[in-house]
Amino acid sequence: MQTQPAVGDVAAELEAIVGTKRRIIDPTELRTYECDGLAGARVRPLAVVLPETTAEVAEVVRVAKRHGLPVVPRGSGTGLSGGAQPVPGCLLVVLSRMTAILDIDFENQRMRVQSGVINLDVSKAIAARGYYYAPDPSSQSVCSIGGNIAENSGGAHCLKYGFTVNHVTAATVVLADGRVVEIGSPAADPLGYDLIAAVVGSEGMVGIVTEAVVRILRAPELTRTFFATFPTTDEAGTCVSQIVAAGIVPAAVEMMDTLAIEAIVKSTGVDWPLDVGAALLMDVDGTRAEVEHTAAAAVEIARRSGAIEVRTPKNDAERALMWKGRKSAFAAMGRISPNYYVQDGVIPRSEISKVLREIAAVTAREGLRVANVFHAGDGNLHPLVLYDARVPGEEHRAETVAGEILKICIRYGGSITGEHGVGLDKAVYMGELFTDSDLETMNFVRCTFDPERTFNPNKVFPTPRLCGDVPGTYVAHAVETSGSAGRG
Amino acid sequence: MSTDMRDVRVGGSAVRGTVAKSIVTPSDLGEASYVLTQAASRGHAVAFLGGGTELGLGYPPARVDVLVKTARLARVVEYAPADMVVEVEAGVTLAALQKHLAPHGQRLALDVPYPELATLGGLVATNGFGPRRTRFGSLRDSIVGVSLIRADGARVRGGGKVVKNVAGFDLPKLAVGSLGSLGMIATATFRLHPLPETARALRVAGCDGATLQAVVRDVTARQLEPAAFLAALNESGSAYDAIVVFEGFAAGVDEQQSRFEALVTERGLRAERLADAARATGVDEEVRTYGDLRVRLSVPPAHLTALERDALAPLARAVAEPRAVTYPSLGIAFFSGYAADVAGVANALAAARRAVEALAGNLVLLDVRDRTIADRLDPYGTLPASFFLMQRLKDRFDPEHRMNPGRFLGGL
Repeated sequence: MQTQPAVGDVAAELEAIVGTKRRIIDPTELRTYECDGLAGARVRPLAVVLPETTAEVAEVVRVAKRHGLPVVPRGSGTGLSGGAQPVPGCLLVVLSRMTAILDIDFENQRMRVQSGVINLDVSKAIAARGYYYAPDPSSQSVCSIGGNIAENSGGAHCLKYGFTVNHVTAATVVLADGRVVEIGSPAADPLGYDLIAAVVGSEGMVGIVTEAVVRILRAPELTRTFFATFPTTDEAGTCVSQIVAAGIVPAAVEMMDTLAIEAIVKSTGVDWPLDVGAALLMDVDGTRAEVEHTAAAAVEIARRSGAIEVRTPKNDAERALMWKGRKSAFAAMGRISPNYYVQDGVIPRSEISKVLREIAAVTAREGLRVANVFHAGDGNLHPLVLYDARVPGEEHRAETVAGEILKICIRYGGSITGEHGVGLDKAVYMGELFTDSDLETMNFVRCTFDPERTFNPNKVFPTPRLCGDVPGTYVAHAVETSGSAGRG
Repeated sequence: MSTDMRDVRVGGSAVRGTVAKSIVTPSDLGEASYVLTQAASRGHAVAFLGGGTELGLGYPPARVDVLVKTARLARVVEYAPADMVVEVEAGVTLAALQKHLAPHGQRLALDVPYPELATLGGLVATNGFGPRRTRFGSLRDSIVGVSLIRADGARVRGGGKVVKNVAGFDLPKLAVGSLGSLGMIATATFRLHPLPETARALRVAGCDGATLQAVVRDVTARQLEPAAFLAALNESGSAYDAIVVFEGFAAGVDEQQSRFEALVTERGLRAERLADAARATGVDEEVRTYGDLRVRLSVPPAHLTALERDALAPLARAVAEPRAVTYPSLGIAFFSGYAADVAGVANALAAARRAVEALAGNLVLLDVRDRTIADRLDPYGTLPASFFLMQRLKDRFDPEHRMNPGRFLGGL
């Protein structure tokens, strides 16, 4: 263990900002915050702070700066890549008390919220007027908007509606020196570089987002859902490809394999058949006649692709139950395995069948099982590698399989993460996806915001990267090559 | 056709009046990288030229030692119809790309002026969009990958060729709208959309600003989903003809048409069907390429009436032969015309800018030929509070300020 600064001084300064109730230094209480949704290593922060305003966050960050402490931002702590895992000796700034909805502007289809607001609460606040917030990660009932911004979260319906980066138009960000800056604009096309794109998906490395303006959408007039079962994932994959080839843009297409279906049935009680190789859950939405047409066409394609059975929900309650089944898939794994390791690789949609076979082969070689539940429409896989941590060696083999899966995704021209983020978990694979120059260039963005690497210093990049000197504005530098990014 | 394009074609070596000391037309990305590496070793300033359709944007370049033309970087690098993703080199024109995609029933959902000239590299640099932004967003919403040639000549990439990807910082979107100031946009990868089975266009003539706003509200309230929604200033010089395009399968388009007609009738107006849906939005290109003065305005869409009343109408009075097109649901407008009374036009532009900035919007000069106007008016207007971060970003990517120096916001 490294030596930590005296917690006493820091605690006193934090208390001056947030009082004693919203700062945590007691080792037992700190235990809650030792990890996020990524199981595994636990690291105790020096202290946890629970600010309620932008001004408090800024003051807290200034305390960290004075003491040279790293800062790790955390929303609800549901992230699956370790993005909110503390680094040793850090101040963990937890935004979960910043839950105010600040403004709802239906006319401009915008909503201003504090970053701790829960994803689903955004939609709930506007549902009565027929509006909703589009990004819908499966954890949407517990994950926060700030966390979604950090990870550029997607969800099942991002296939048609895009990701968090397409739905955030402005944000208030606290920088490493405590300065508060507003980025983006209420109008289309803010002037200058797209700082929203720099912040969304930055995995907590550029600052702390305290408020955000998000787009709210008018709900589609009609949504048609169907659930189809297939003998194997091959037929299900063909079905997805045929639907897309027919010019249909579904709102969501989710695939589940036998093991995933089994876990979901055991966990939620949905009456899905257990003797099938795969199932698709699909939404088509839009205007009434368009949806009636495309839904009928999609069902027909499913039948032609070899579907065993196609079910359509009779009412909203049945539809909600189908989606509840899908969205509880990760949690349901507990019913069929003591432990699991989830991956988030992406592949070109047309390669789904081939990649699933390779994943199955790798998993079988290690004597493990893998359940697949994923966003088939955009090729975003979520293989759940099942293992029992009590059996010596199984956890290690699961990690091996998980790593192999990412390498397969890279080999097929895909990505190591579609929506969970790189975090700690996948940082080691970044060097296989990107060249050193690519990573150096990405580091330019981080250094723009946080040259001293105060925020989340050990995440995303495979090896520590310093920022070098901060170039002075408008001064031509005779820096070697493109200058500013040195190696740590 | 803009003066700037004439500059390039006639002189062959000038960008906005700044003469380039040399012109290079690399035949592949390796050559382009070599050119930038050589420029780095000599401290040369580099500007980039695609189709030259938006050269009026920003400040004139501070200096141009090397002008890199992307005309020969015109390959479709990879097209996977089943994955609906395409990667192209910077010099591919939008028209050429659409022609490549059409046999597969696909398109890039982007409808900008001069598609036969506008290159994808240039469209990335300027965040291109047209009326179909209503449904499909701007280029920012379609880009999934980019490769850049940095100021030091290094070839780097961000994003990838899958539509869903959060690995690393979003270099593709940072390149969007950067006007070549972060480096050369070498290739870009886009997600595609299916070509619609049917398209239908309807026109509602003679709307004032308040009526337009009301129709926008109705369309949203009734959950219609137009692919394009624009309104063009008509001959009266004070009223707008709204044009709505519905795209999709025939049954859906029929239904949307009849419901749109109904809502328009309820407002005491009449919707007429336009014979040629494919050309229905042609007025957008006409307005955006017209005259010797072109500007873009944007405000939060709820301020559409104020945009029309406090910015567009006064501009129309000050400018000869005014043309304007707005995207009412997005709060965006393009205005063009001839600056006959130079002093009056400069004053009107300044007043219009004050009006939209008061509404938290902006007014950007796209092409202003008259030097006295250009000298009196900043191309962009008031700098955002976050400008210091943009300066730092530029300094990181291009510490010697050699990439399109001086063109971008605040002279970056």
